[in-house]
Amino acid sequence: MRLTARLAILPCALAATALMADGSAVGASAAAQSGGTGGIRGRLVLSRTPRSNERRPEVASPGAAGPRDRPDLRVGVVYLDQAPRAAFEEPRPARATMDQRNERFVPHVLPVMVGTMVDFPNSDATYHNVFSLSRAKRFDLGRYASGNTKSVRMDRPGVIRVFCDIHSHMNAFILVFAHPFFDTTDPEGRFQLANVPPGTYTVVGWHEGEPRVTRPVTVTGGAWTDLDLLEP
Amino acid sequence: MLRIRRLYWPHVFLVPLLHLLACVLLVATHAFAQGLPTEAISVANGRVVFGGEVFVTAGEEDPGWFNYTGYEYNALRNFRASLSTEVRPSSHVQFLAEIRLDHGEHLSAYAMFMRVRPWPERRFDVQVGRVPPTFGAFTRTIYAYENVVIGQPLAYQYLLSLRTDAVPSNADDLLVQRGSGWLTQYPVGSSERTTGLPVFNNNRYDTGVQVHGVKGPFEWTGAVTTGSLSDPRLSDNNGRPQLAGRAIVQLGPAIKVGASGARGAWLDNSLNPDLPRGETASDFRQAAWAVDAEASAGRWLARAEFLQSSWQLPELGTPYITAPITARSLIVEARVKLLPSLSIAGRGDVLTFDDLAGSRETLPWEAPTRRFEGALTFKVTRNVNFKTAVQWNKRDGGRVRHDTLLAGQIVYWF
Repeated sequence: MRLTARLAILPCALAATALMADGSAVGASAAAQSGGTGGIRGRLVLSRTPRSNERRPEVASPGAAGPRDRPDLRVGVVYLDQAPRAAFEEPRPARATMDQRNERFVPHVLPVMVGTMVDFPNSDATYHNVFSLSRAKRFDLGRYASGNTKSVRMDRPGVIRVFCDIHSHMNAFILVFAHPFFDTTDPEGRFQLANVPPGTYTVVGWHEGEPRVTRPVTVTGGAWTDLDLLEP
Repeated sequence: MLRIRRLYWPHVFLVPLLHLLACVLLVATHAFAQGLPTEAISVANGRVVFGGEVFVTAGEEDPGWFNYTGYEYNALRNFRASLSTEVRPSSHVQFLAEIRLDHGEHLSAYAMFMRVRPWPERRFDVQVGRVPPTFGAFTRTIYAYENVVIGQPLAYQYLLSLRTDAVPSNADDLLVQRGSGWLTQYPVGSSERTTGLPVFNNNRYDTGVQVHGVKGPFEWTGAVTTGSLSDPRLSDNNGRPQLAGRAIVQLGPAIKVGASGARGAWLDNSLNPDLPRGETASDFRQAAWAVDAEASAGRWLARAEFLQSSWQLPELGTPYITAPITARSLIVEARVKLLPSLSIAGRGDVLTFDDLAGSRETLPWEAPTRRFEGALTFKVTRNVNFKTAVQWNKRDGGRVRHDTLLAGQIVYWF
């Protein structure tokens, strides 16, 4: 039975690994369900408009700072609160990237699996100093220049708030999961959790640091379950 | 008669007590901080932005007045709440202001100016109002969370025996006030006993027009303001403005160097009746220049600044003060992060003065002063920091020649 469960989860883990390599979301494959698994798809609908991310008022500066990019704050993450036991076994090493570009972390939200090595390249002409004081992972990469990359292995599940010590308006989230059933939403809130073993789960819609909505859902083999998560 | 009290507790008791208090405060602060804003608050689609800082600094009494920024105000004993606002009605115009409550009672408009960017795609700005300082490097560090230690550099805070509304009648009058910047009195001008001026007053913004540009690695700023470095003002008091300029070159991401200069009248018109015939307050200038450098890499950051300022004084009697009196200061500071939430920092600075010949002896016109401050900073969260610092002060004059002070600070900002 244990072997069967492993086989069932393997395609999912592989898909997760492949997609995480370019820093994008995991498990959102549009591929057909396999091995009798099902899927969940729908929209995360937020009731609160996110505030724009702005620099602190620059009252000590003789002039305004240069232009910068703003993060897309509409992006959220949808994930299973509890996953089948087999999903926690044999996490595969993977890499993901959170770039620092034009005074912005790209992507703003990065979900990964435990064990993933996250690279933080600096693509700006100025120094950046990535750090986090989150319980799930405390690190400080120090100041480093354009063209350099430093990396951190995410070895515990949890939410990691990432900041730049030089540019206080730069912030991002890394969500570290012990299972592969999560997806970042697109700007319209759409998500897909593929290859979910049949069963009953709790789906969580997360946005900007907090779970906003949870819904129970039952997944049947070989079919998509449609689910819209409406924030109260 | 002034009564100076001091905590005479031996440090062997004080240090554990401070740390116990810090632990209690850290736990309470961490719990409290969870519900507070962690970044600037923006409304109206980012057109209005609010930032703020609140800090409490507790330190020992300072009978040598080494850290006083006014007769009643000690930089190591302060409760400050500040709120800064930026309103951006268009891509060309911004209005910026900062309101501060210091020592829990003194409310002031620290900054209030309009910024105009004629060409939105070019980094060229004109600022009008109570504008940020043009001169110097430390003036960019206006918030407690940016300061590597708790105290301020001597050149930006320490009170000298100079006043805008009263002047010495001769060199002896000036020499007798050495080390008494916290409460000076001169026979010419106002007879009130009050505080002197620092080399550069970092606790107030000056009023005027400022232009600023950035082109590649070069950055420059020029300003015309009503006050002087030692006495930034809201309204003019002598009819002659100050001119100031600063240039910065970014030599790479790791190093930048800067140079500043300023020149302006510093005495108050109220002195005019006491000045020699044909001279007015506007004839007496404060002139200053400075060079600075900042380097950083990995987990360390280092800054250094050298500045020189001179003040012209009227020649009223013998022994005359014939030349401008000059002060020089060297500031060196560094910070190293030991852990993601823990850093150690130190700042050493000296403030020296030219010799002045009195009727009996020749001495530096003010008492040379040295300071070293070491600090540990613990980040409770990203925007809640706790600092503890030890500060050594030494002065070649005044009634308290040296003192060691302990201080602690909790800072919250968004």
